[in-house]
Amino acid sequence: MHLITLLKFFLNMDDLYKEIILDRYKNPHNLGTISGGIKVEEVNALCGDKIKIWLEVKNGIITDAKFEGSGCAISVAATDILMDMIKGKKVADVQQMSGAEIESQIGIELSSVRKRCAYIGLEAIKKIKDSLNNL
Amino acid sequence: MKNNFPIFQNNPDLVYLDSAATSLKPAPVILSEMEYYIKYSANIHRGLYQMSQIASDQYDQSRQIIADFINSQSNEIIFTSGTTASINLVAQTWGQQNIKSGDEIIITQMEHHSNLVPWQQLAKTKKAKLKYLPVTSDFLLDQKSLLKLITSKTKIVALAHVSNVLGTINPIKKIVQTIKKINPKTLVLVDGAQSVAHFPVDVVDLGVDFYAFSGHKLYGPTGIGVLYINQKIYSSMSPTSFGGGAIKEVFWHKTILGNPPFCYEPGTPPIAQAIALSQAIKFIQKIGWPKIIQQEQDLTNYLFQKLKTISDLKILGPTKSDQRLGVISFAFTKPKSPTPHDIGDILSQKFNIAVRTGFHCAMPLHQLFGFTTGTTRVSLGIYNTQKDIDKLIDALNHVIKIFS
Repeated sequence: MHLITLLKFFLNMDDLYKEIILDRYKNPHNLGTISGGIKVEEVNALCGDKIKIWLEVKNGIITDAKFEGSGCAISVAATDILMDMIKGKKVADVQQMSGAEIESQIGIELSSVRKRCAYIGLEAIKKIKDSLNNL
Repeated sequence: MKNNFPIFQNNPDLVYLDSAATSLKPAPVILSEMEYYIKYSANIHRGLYQMSQIASDQYDQSRQIIADFINSQSNEIIFTSGTTASINLVAQTWGQQNIKSGDEIIITQMEHHSNLVPWQQLAKTKKAKLKYLPVTSDFLLDQKSLLKLITSKTKIVALAHVSNVLGTINPIKKIVQTIKKINPKTLVLVDGAQSVAHFPVDVVDLGVDFYAFSGHKLYGPTGIGVLYINQKIYSSMSPTSFGGGAIKEVFWHKTILGNPPFCYEPGTPPIAQAIALSQAIKFIQKIGWPKIIQQEQDLTNYLFQKLKTISDLKILGPTKSDQRLGVISFAFTKPKSPTPHDIGDILSQKFNIAVRTGFHCAMPLHQLFGFTTGTTRVSLGIYNTQKDIDKLIDALNHVIKIFS
């Protein structure tokens, strides 16, 4: 194997598909729906990711978060991790979150194309209208 | 063959398997485009100085070479920016001017969005009926349904020569005969984006009215495309965009348009690209169709055999080699398998293999067959070798290992 390709592999690929991604893709912790919750969805036309998120919000605070959807390993794993990150936070604060926070939580740096996969859950939550934030 | 493509000098390890998206460019094409800019970079049909005359001659010759390439006349060749622009031009001129409320437009379920959306939108504005010719479970056009679909109200049938997802080669000549037998007035437009680089096309023999293709999928430059219009159709249509080079005389309140094809090409055309496209055609002709066809067919068969060794991999497209080209889309069927997007990323980053992933601009087709997260598409060009395929198969096995 070419040296640079080899380096890329150790620096990048092992990281990208490291245990946390594969584990969360195969066995997400937050799969499901919440009846009566706020429902939002987002698609990534480029690769066909489709994610639906349900949030249970009390006094503006997210008390539970679940998701369903089909997509690549990165989009599913990142959304699952995002669900953990947002519980206990204000919707308004989550909407201010940057994608970089998700990346740092996963511990990997993503290419611009894959960022769109990883940020899909956050993009969905950003669609929640102000009027619903304080439920 | 790879020696003819300078990109491999800069990327010696590149395994390029995305020729259906765009083909790589051989040296004569690149040099010809550069030659225009460094030797005779002038506008055409305007200047009396020598450079302009050279440019005009080269440009005109190029149109003739392209016309000969598909067995048409040079006045039947309109230069556009690509297949998409060619199809839109027909929809926006002939379509707008001839389709009325209640008329029927027929396309197929295997169309690229470029040969779907222009007709869908035209049907919407004209209150015409858009009907779809189905694709069978063995990924071929359902020719029996065609007999029922064509009526006295069918104004146009638009279909791909080769599907950019399934690789299916549609029997255009037979389909045109069937259509014209039922309704001789129905026109036929063929999207040739995926065909012209892989086998000879004769528009007269096929009996088509419009034929659209791109330069960049034909080993030529980006920014240039072709629309063939059977000259008999010209009397029933007129241009909708206007400007310099497309007119004979202009008065304050009246304009006399130029003759086709020029009246459909207002403004300065892609001169360098048109000239370089003729070099791409010469390049293909120098290799010769028998060699290109044989090589690509052998490699497609080899790719098929190898893909079959991978378990749980489902191919979206016909299996018989005489029904298809080297465009093969596939996906893993088991839940929690690597999705096309994961596959494409790993193939690129770890193995320097370029494939296309997603819906390939044919979303409804993927949904029809239940491939909801899209497919991974491998498409071959004349520079591909068995070694490329072997590297692909090793890489796919590695992806499976990561996910197991």
